[in-house]
This record gives sequence, structure tokens and C-alpha cells, in this order.
Amino acid sequence: MTRFVESTITFPYKRSLGPVIGAFMSALTDKRILGIRNGAEVIVPPMEWDPRTGAELAPDFVEVGPAGTVESWTWVPAPSVQHPLDRPFAFAFIRLDGANTPMFHAIDATSPEAMADGMRVAPRWRGVREGRINDIVCFVPGEQSEVEGTDAGAQIEPVVLMEYLASITYVNPVSPTLDRVVDASRERRLLGQQCPVCGRIYAGGRGHCPIDAVVFGIDDDLDLPQTGTITNFAIVTPTQYPGQTETEPFVRAFVLLDGVEVVLGYQPVVELPYTDVRVGQRVAAVWASPAEAVDTGGQMGGTFGQLIGWMPNGEPDIENPDLVNRIF
Amino acid sequence: MSKSPDIKGTDIAIVGWAQTPMVRRTELSETHLLVDVITDALEPLALTRADIDFTCLGSCDYITGQPFSFVVNLDALGAWPPKQDSHVEMDGAWALYEAWLRLQHGDIEIAVVTGSGRSSTGDPSLIYPMEMDPYYLAPLGADPLTFAALQARAVIGAGIADERRMAEVAVRSRRDAIGNPYAQVSGHGDVEALLAGAYVRQPLRRHDLPPITDGACAMVLATAERARELCERPAFIRGLDHRTECHNPSFRDLADAPSVRIAAHAAGLGDGPVELAELQAAFTHEELLLRHVLGLGDDVKVNTSGGALASNPIMATGLVRIGCAADHIFSGGRRALAHSTSGPCLQQNLVCILEGETSA
Repeated sequence: MTRFVESTITFPYKRSLGPVIGAFMSALTDKRILGIRNGAEVIVPPMEWDPRTGAELAPDFVEVGPAGTVESWTWVPAPSVQHPLDRPFAFAFIRLDGANTPMFHAIDATSPEAMADGMRVAPRWRGVREGRINDIVCFVPGEQSEVEGTDAGAQIEPVVLMEYLASITYVNPVSPTLDRVVDASRERRLLGQQCPVCGRIYAGGRGHCPIDAVVFGIDDDLDLPQTGTITNFAIVTPTQYPGQTETEPFVRAFVLLDGVEVVLGYQPVVELPYTDVRVGQRVAAVWASPAEAVDTGGQMGGTFGQLIGWMPNGEPDIENPDLVNRIF
Repeated sequence: MSKSPDIKGTDIAIVGWAQTPMVRRTELSETHLLVDVITDALEPLALTRADIDFTCLGSCDYITGQPFSFVVNLDALGAWPPKQDSHVEMDGAWALYEAWLRLQHGDIEIAVVTGSGRSSTGDPSLIYPMEMDPYYLAPLGADPLTFAALQARAVIGAGIADERRMAEVAVRSRRDAIGNPYAQVSGHGDVEALLAGAYVRQPLRRHDLPPITDGACAMVLATAERARELCERPAFIRGLDHRTECHNPSFRDLADAPSVRIAAHAAGLGDGPVELAELQAAFTHEELLLRHVLGLGDDVKVNTSGGALASNPIMATGLVRIGCAADHIFSGGRRALAHSTSGPCLQQNLVCILEGETSA
């Protein structure tokens, strides 16, 4: 039975708005909706370029709405976490008064029976507006705009940036090869796979030979030596970004295992200050105790299972100027 | 077989292809899917990975959930001997477009293109809104079902579709898919019963929507002389073009698909009738709109594979359409059309015209 692992990737974006979208977002904080002239037409929401020809538009803004007419709509019976309302609602194309193009937004209606093409709607403004499309919570039936909560007023400074948090949860299968490698690590065994076609050996639970495009099976497993030589390394000085947990400089080393043409990449070093790491240094595998919880999800490179890194084994360095080239 | 005088030496043909079984959730990684499907495409042609001169892979990091995921997928091609490779963050149909251009340089003979995607990795209804306009649409959670519904309303309003004809498309597609061993969804449906179902997004019901599918596709292209050696009846690419429209659906006429019309014209659809069309219509109304815009008559067989309504492996769905059209040529057909699309409401469209050689 294949194991699946769940992981969530989050990207906190800061987007520059530019002169046209920035003007639109700034006006939203003042409960005004701007379009832009495109020849005889007014485009809402405004674009920097003509949607048909790509010609650049002059920043000639026109205030539209705030009320408008529904041109088309569909009903959302089961909203997602990303939707603006947590109860059933309509998404619609709304042509704001004075505009020639419809704007996409939500409408808070009681039921699909309350919706119709041609119906009049007006915005429900957020009380605290920061210059994003969600400053309009949604539109509501009728001619009258409304404000949700206390009106905090317009932003004084022009809005030039927009934050957007993209967060996605993924569920990926773990290859059976990686699971065998992780299981072996619990017995402090370093398990590799040998390609039945070319004979090359791979470590780290890669499920296939990239040379021959052969998927490994259990018959391809073999135990690898647990001593090796550092061929190259990098000192990583962490910069702070969301999700970064390291604060001090650390090393990621490449370890060539003894007697086999296998290099393990991105390996942590243990009980070895980053200033003391050398090319040619002899090291041995360090294993976590069986009770210790470890990530068995299968990271990109680096350690796996109970293998937590490599520490000097006391043997003299190997002097070989070609070693630095062995990072694969 | 004698050579048709109007096919030039630099012309490019499809000589073979393969697809994985299309399923809701596979236990195999995307790379593993590609290992299998590339082997399946090459072996019947007595080719090996060493024979490949150029590769182009179509896949999507956003679906895989891993930056540069296509680098891992390259493992499926066999790293030795080295090959020229490229990648498109698009359906494999656009990978085919790039390989078709590359082969026309004349210095290489064989290319392999793929499309691959595991939609089960994430929740498509939450991922695709993030690919929309980041200022005006993504913050509202503007999802593909909503836009498909708004386009369906526009197409119905223009008299090109109605809910009954849409249900008929669904029934026909899934019935045709019974004969397709790779299809995910197939069977006999009843139009009246389907029309009694609830709306997912008015006017779309569940049967108007595609399944969520994991799968991959690989295709082998060759220059004309080599194609004739490899394949009894190669499917020659007679025309290939793609066009795009504005990214925000609110600025488009959703009852029309001008980029489809322009691409079809540039690909030479007007030069002669096609017997079969494989259209990447993931929603029932899209098939009706595409037939209308392409001017396909009732004599043209459409999506006899079951189409995207039977299996919708995002990033491979379009390439599979081209493969199914190539099958028509392989089995003696004369001329076929394949269509692929990307973006909301048929935003970007690719049209490919395939032909077999006629006896002199």
C-alpha cells in the first residue's frame, strides 16, 4: 500500500500595483470605483492596456457606479474557503453605471430565485479598507451602497502594494523505494539501489535510474558503507523569510561513500563547527535514536529517516584535488 | 507506400503515442508515470531512449506542488546519451508545437513530447483560482467552475447550446468512452435523468463537468523520411497554430471563441474537410461552442474517444486529443483535427490538422 504525505506550501506575495491598478485600489479605500477610458469605452476594472489590441492606455480615469446592473450570474451553492462569503451566494458579471465592460464580483442574495439578469446591485464596502478588490465585500440587491461595520475612512497614502497569501496543501505518494530506505535507517542501515541495467548505485531513496529510466524494485536494494569523504560543501548563512527556522550559519556537505561511486548531497554535519569543515575530511554516518521522531516524508536531497548527518571519524584527511568535483 | 507530392521532406509526422490508464488517483509519481508511458510509446516503434534527439515536456509546478518539478521528470527520458530538452508549463499539445518547430530545422529526426499531471495531488478548485488575475480575480476565489458556468450562460444565450443538448453531449461522450480502455468515466446515461440533477453552478450540472484525473501521455514525432520507415501510415502535421485572448473573461465575448477561429484558419482547416475532430472540451457547452466556431457539420465525428468529459488529465488532455486524432490517420483516415486549450473559458487555443499520405 503506497503511503501518501501531506504538505502545505505557502507563498506570501507582495505585488506591485502599478499606476493604473494602484489608482483603482487607492480609490476603493475612498469607496469610489474607477474605470479607464479606452477610446469611446470605459473599462472596469481598469487595465494598463487595451484588452483587444494591447495598446497602452493613457491614465484617463472615470468614476463609475457604485451601483450597476447584473449582466450574467451563476449560483455558488457550496462556497470554498477562498470565496468572499461563507454562505451560498452568486458570482456575477456586473456592469457598473457608466462602464462598458462588466466587472466580476460576488452578490449576497438569499437564493438563486432572488437573482436575475438586469437586476440592480450596489457594493457592500468593508469598514476597514486597505486597497484591494476585497474592499468590496460583495454587492447587494438594490441601489443603495452599504458599509460593513464602522467606516474607517480612506487610506491617506496611495496604495502601491497588495499582499496575497497563496497557500496550497498537496498530497503526494511516497515511492516504495524511499519507504524501504527509511525503514532500513531505523536499523541504522544505509540502503541504496543498484540499477540492473548500468550497475550504477543510488542512495537517498530515488525510485529509478535516471540514466536508464528503470524503476527500482526490492531486488535492486543493497547496503552501502557508512563512512566517506567530504568532497565539497557550502556554508549557508540564513536570511530570514517565512518558514526559515535556521538563524546561524550551517554547512551542507557532499559525502562520497567509501568503495562505491555514490555521493550524498546536502548533508548536515554533526559536532563539527562550520568553520572547521574541509574538503577531504573523513566522516561517518550519525543516526538518530529509534525513539526520536524524524521526517520520513522524503525531502528533496539531504538526509532521510534516522540519518541525521555526518561527523568526523578521526581518520586523516584524503589529499586529492579532484575530490571537489564530486558533487554527483 | 508512395509519397504524396505535396508533402515535403521537412514535414513532420506523429509516428506513435501512448497514454497511461486515466484514474482519479494514481499511486505512482509523475516521473514514474512518464517512465512507463515513454517506454510504451517507443517500444512498438522498435526505438529506444537513445534514439531520441529532442524532448519537450508539458507539466505544471502548481499542480505538482514542487518548483522545477520537470527536472525530476527528465529522469524518465534517460539522461545518457544526452538529449536536447525543453519544457513548457502548458499542456503537452504545446510541447508538441515546440518539437514540431524544432524538427523543422532539419538537423535532427526524432522528438518525444509528453504531457503529465497528477491532479489528485491538490484540490483543483483551490489551485486554479490562484492562477487567475492576481489583482482582480484571485482574491475573490474566482474558480474555473464559476467561469465555465458564466460562459455556458453566454453560449446558451446565443442559441449555440441549451441544457438538453449539453446533457446529450455528456451522454454521448461517456457512451463513446466505453470503447476506450484508458477512459476514467464511461457508461450509459439518460438525458432526462441527468437534467433532473442539481446544479453545481447554474446552468452546469455534474454531468457537464470533467472528472478529476491523473495521467500522462507521450508522443513520438519524426521527420518525413524517418516517419515512413518507422510507421506504415504516419500522421503528418499539415497545420498547427495557437492563439490567445485576454486573461480576464469579463473583457471577452464568451459566446464566441475568436482565437479558435484564427488558429483553425491559420492551421488550414478551410483547405479541406476533416472526418474526425478531437476537441479539448472539458465542459459540455465548450464542445457545442467549438463545433459552432469551427463550422464542423454533423458528418464530422467528434470526440469518439469520449474526450475530456471521460478523462481530464490536466497538462496531458490536449496531447491525448492529438493522439486520438493521429489514431484516426494510423487506421486509414485521411484528415483529422485536434484541438487543445488552456486558461479560463477557452482563453488560449491550439489547432492541429493531421493528414495521411495519399497514394500517387
